[in-house]
Amino acid sequence: MPDTATGVALNTVEVRFTGGMLALNRLLMTLQNKRMPVAGFTLGRDGEGMRATILLDCPTESALRYTALISALEDVSEAGPAQTIEVALLETAADWRAAAERTGIEAHENDGMVVATGGPEKVDGFLAALGENIEDVVRLGPIARPEGEIRGGV
Amino acid sequence: MCEALLDEGVEYLFGYPGGAIMPFYDALPDYPLKHVLTRHEQAAAHAADGYARATGQVGVCVATSGPGATNLVTGLATAQMDSVPLVAITGQVGRPALGKDSFQETNVMGMTLPFTKHSFLVEDPDELYPTMRRAFEIARTGRPGPVLIDVPKDVQFAACNDNGYRRLKEAQPPVESPGLERAAMLLRNAKRPLILAGHGVTLGGAEMELRLLAERTGIPVVTTLLGISAFPDDHPLYLGWPGMHGQASVNRAIDRSDLLFAVGMRFDDRITGAAHKFAKDAKVIHIDIDPSELGKVIKPTVGIAADAKAAMRTILGHLDDASEGDGCERWLKELAKSQEPERRRKESARDEYGPIQVMEAIKGAAGPGLRLVTDVGQHQMWAAQFFEFTKPNSHITSGGLGTMGFALPAAMGVAFAYPEEPVWVIAGDGGIQMNIQELATIREFGLNIKIAVLNNGYLGMVRQWQQFFHNRRYSETPITGPDYEQLTAAYGLAGRTVREGDDVGEAVRWAQEQEGCTILDFHIDPEANVYPMIPSGMSVNEMIEEDGA
Repeated sequence: MPDTATGVALNTVEVRFTGGMLALNRLLMTLQNKRMPVAGFTLGRDGEGMRATILLDCPTESALRYTALISALEDVSEAGPAQTIEVALLETAADWRAAAERTGIEAHENDGMVVATGGPEKVDGFLAALGENIEDVVRLGPIARPEGEIRGGV
Repeated sequence: MCEALLDEGVEYLFGYPGGAIMPFYDALPDYPLKHVLTRHEQAAAHAADGYARATGQVGVCVATSGPGATNLVTGLATAQMDSVPLVAITGQVGRPALGKDSFQETNVMGMTLPFTKHSFLVEDPDELYPTMRRAFEIARTGRPGPVLIDVPKDVQFAACNDNGYRRLKEAQPPVESPGLERAAMLLRNAKRPLILAGHGVTLGGAEMELRLLAERTGIPVVTTLLGISAFPDDHPLYLGWPGMHGQASVNRAIDRSDLLFAVGMRFDDRITGAAHKFAKDAKVIHIDIDPSELGKVIKPTVGIAADAKAAMRTILGHLDDASEGDGCERWLKELAKSQEPERRRKESARDEYGPIQVMEAIKGAAGPGLRLVTDVGQHQMWAAQFFEFTKPNSHITSGGLGTMGFALPAAMGVAFAYPEEPVWVIAGDGGIQMNIQELATIREFGLNIKIAVLNNGYLGMVRQWQQFFHNRRYSETPITGPDYEQLTAAYGLAGRTVREGDDVGEAVRWAQEQEGCTILDFHIDPEANVYPMIPSGMSVNEMIEEDGA
């Protein structure tokens, strides 16, 4: 996490790279070396190599500059902005379908648990709409919206 | 490895052998590569750096694993900070011994990650040749920088099937035109414009384009410390260089300007001081080959990620119809007036024994062909202020990292590149002692390097800061050194001590006329200061211009 959260914006950068641990080490060192305001970091892999999803707590303009810096790394095949989403898992007896439709988030039920997915602001609105009818909630994220299948996390 | 070096056109290697790099050194005599055995690996890195800066080609240094590799670290960081193309080859313990705390094993890739452009650990012998070729390509393309190749000893021993060389990444996209058109428009309409040229102009070989741009528009030019000699000092449009110890008039000019055309530079904190107060009334056109530099410190009005040469050529095309009006006449008159007090001060100081007199004497004796390599500290600032550089790329110094001990080995690289040209080193009595062992290398190869030590018995720049900001508590800055006449004699070289102004000219002429390396030890005022001085993090308005100011 950055020393002080900017509270301005969260920007997600998706990075694809090859080169294994050495490349990962270089990526992490670059994040630290350039003091990038990293608010979250997840790592996965797919058929094309490793994929890191980095949440930067800074204005979009700065995030684009950091993305340019990351994309210049030799191991990085692709780096670019990605959509940020939040996932909320909750238990509620209220009409969550109507609230989801009103606030524009995706939601479904799984084993009695409501799984709600959307932009952070929309998830805020969804939870606010349900108000005190929420019995329990766990918020995951913010994270990048995956564009392809992630087969395994690290 | 040797064949890859030859295929890259390498002539000189600077290095130091050891256990893990012995197979490479065993092969080396069979190839027409010239190896310079330095007396320390740090010096090998700086010498390769100096060679690269002087020639524009990739410098090459070689070391063994463990301490050999760790000794390269300062040199690699120096090259990274100043965007110098360098390839460092290190031996590594054999693959079976990796990760077992083996003798002289160290994770050189890990330790150099923050200040190499890229690094390779070659674990497949068949990848050795293409990796070497790729390392050179990475070092010299885009924004140049150092690349490390770590080669385990058993990989060096193994039979390598040359499997050719392939490009891994596409070239940079072409220069974006709308931004350049807008830049040209801003240049046409500005009333108080300045061109601020950095090291990228020299690295990109764009000195001619810079000159054409200045002359076509009539816009005055200032440079960064590393941009010095990218534009001729004696040109009527050259003002000087700004920053913490740059000319006061240049700092004020930036403060007054309404347009900064910043090319091949990165708004270092030594230039900007307090960034939010820097050029506060100016629109900024920022051209740099590294897109991540745009907006890093100063938000540009127009940011263009492009090579300096290509970008300026395009802009020149847009300025074909530049108006014949009064251009910057009024602005130039204002600037000339603001420079008058500095000119008078410089003139009056010429006859006093001190740094200015020494610089003037060297300039006179060496002539316009001089290549000057400076170390880091007060003398570096005096040299940058008082020399006149009329030859492109004739001023070499460690800017970003500020590496004391850089000058002597870097000058070796310059002297190998240009053996027929006069090479002078100006150093302080602190920095010169950091790589003084290289006098043996210089002697062995008969390099014609002249060294001027500005000896004030202090780590002068630190002492100056202690004077201003620590109430004259000169904590650990007084420093002693050897008798340089005796020291040079011990190395089989010649040296003289100078204590008075009357002896300066004759001593410098003597040094210039000697065959081979000489040291002149100038004992100067221990408390001479560099002016002006903008305290760290402050602005032009807090500039200290002279004693008591």
